[in-house]
Amino acid sequence: MNRRRRLSRESWIGLSLALSYMVFTAIFWVYPFFWLARLSVTQWRFFDEPIFTGTRNLVMTLQDPQFLQSLLNVLRFLVMYVPIAFGGALVVAFGLQHVGRGKAFVALCFLLSNVSSGVALSLVFTKIFSSTGPLNALLFDWLGIRIPWTTHPTLAMLAIALVVAWKFVGYYGLILYSGLLTIPKDIYDAARLDHASPLTRLARITLPLLNAQLMMVLVFAILVSFGLFTEPFLITGGGPGDSTMPPQMMIYETAFRRLQPSHAAMMSILVSVASYALIVIARRLFERKVTLA
Amino acid sequence: MRAAERIGKLLRSRSPRGWAATVCIYALALTWLYPFLWMVAAALKPTAQIYNTGLFEGDFTLDNFRFLFATADKLDRPFLQAMGISLLVTVSVTLSVLLSSAFIAFALARLRFPGRKLFGDFLLLQMVIPTTMFILPLFVLIKQLGLLNSLGALILPFMMSGWGIYMMAQSFKAMPEEYFDAARLDRASLWQTVTRVVAPLNKSIIAIVALFTFTGTWDNFLWPLIAISDTDRMPLSVLLATFSKQYGGYAGPVMAGAVLQTLPLVLLFVLFRRHFLQGMSLTLK
Repeated sequence: MNRRRRLSRESWIGLSLALSYMVFTAIFWVYPFFWLARLSVTQWRFFDEPIFTGTRNLVMTLQDPQFLQSLLNVLRFLVMYVPIAFGGALVVAFGLQHVGRGKAFVALCFLLSNVSSGVALSLVFTKIFSSTGPLNALLFDWLGIRIPWTTHPTLAMLAIALVVAWKFVGYYGLILYSGLLTIPKDIYDAARLDHASPLTRLARITLPLLNAQLMMVLVFAILVSFGLFTEPFLITGGGPGDSTMPPQMMIYETAFRRLQPSHAAMMSILVSVASYALIVIARRLFERKVTLA
Repeated sequence: MRAAERIGKLLRSRSPRGWAATVCIYALALTWLYPFLWMVAAALKPTAQIYNTGLFEGDFTLDNFRFLFATADKLDRPFLQAMGISLLVTVSVTLSVLLSSAFIAFALARLRFPGRKLFGDFLLLQMVIPTTMFILPLFVLIKQLGLLNSLGALILPFMMSGWGIYMMAQSFKAMPEEYFDAARLDRASLWQTVTRVVAPLNKSIIAIVALFTFTGTWDNFLWPLIAISDTDRMPLSVLLATFSKQYGGYAGPVMAGAVLQTLPLVLLFVLFRRHFLQGMSLTLK
């Protein structure tokens, strides 16, 4: 009797707590979700009544060369970002494993960029990469060259990739390091008995056993590349041409500068679908079930 | 003598190549801090000296900060007020997220109620759908509510976080049942159970949720850029960006603003570094 009353009180509390979140979600998540769906099949200009146009937005968006360029830019970004980020993250992970005492200090140095301000540091990097900035001064002193970081399409994308990698390498490194900790030492001892070279051990033991963590980093990298906004917006402004224009900036410009929210809504949906598809493809290609047998 | 012995032992603990690697890693870790150093140095120099002096050379002054708080105000760029807005918004959002997440996560992790599994699955589904997709329709909602250009636009949509609930619930699930048996015996109320039993035993995960929520709100850029158009309602992140766009030539004051934007985040990070590292390893399991 007593137990039943307590249980009902417990479920009453649980239900009302869960319900409070569901009410919040209904207002700020479900309702916008329906608006997004509605906008994508209508023509609307922020003040009038939406007019149903069916698939016109979809056709228009798919034929918009600027939008397609912004999707292509995601791939261009990933081609530069993934090698830099993975290389850096592996260095950080092995570094953390190597240093004994100052582990926390080293980790915190690499993580500070991850938790500090993207807005402020984008402005800082605008100055650092500028033609008279410290990076070009250094290159000029050492090699006698100046690199036009923000006026060349490929270099501008590389500059963005470097800034974003600087921000995330510490975090990715920590993920890989947590994976390194789970690899048993005796596997390496056995490999050494077989005279496996350090490179073989890396390719045959470490990287395959890190597959779960590497996949996690890859998925995060894909999500970052589709969510990119602050850095290109502040450092290159999407230029030169539209060579560093990311999809999020394209959506922003379309909705709030050109005042075509319906068009932008369709873009949002397509970008989400594209990011989801890319993650699925990446997992198909690279994910392995690894077991220690 | 003993100190020398200990140093000798330490030196011999690694091969020369091992020591070279250690030095390289420390050097790289310090290089990672260079942009911060450069930012602070530039903020303390007259604009004319930023690009043509070494990192630690130049006439260091606080003029850039004075410019930011006094002159920029007359250029319709009220930085002091923007800092106040940023602080108010960020603290309200963080407190609200922490409080709501702790209680709802407690319900999800430890209370039995109908639909609990469904609720957990829904949270997971929500986290898979990218939030950037919602920025445009959220703008429509805020416009309909008449909240554009107000603090409500910056606070209300972010008062609860599915991610925060999920993270805390994961951690609360791992607690031994005995704590809750004891709390039940003492007839502890819901409020007492969460604040006196659950919270003190889950400090790391709470610190992580707090730190990420604080950083994400303080540094949120895209949403306030869309929702706020009056300069005297802007949070610091957006005001700084518009100032930099319009008065880019004032490199010194822009860097001073960047320091102000970064400072609270770095301070929090340094203060909570232990919880942060512990919490990070929790999130990676």
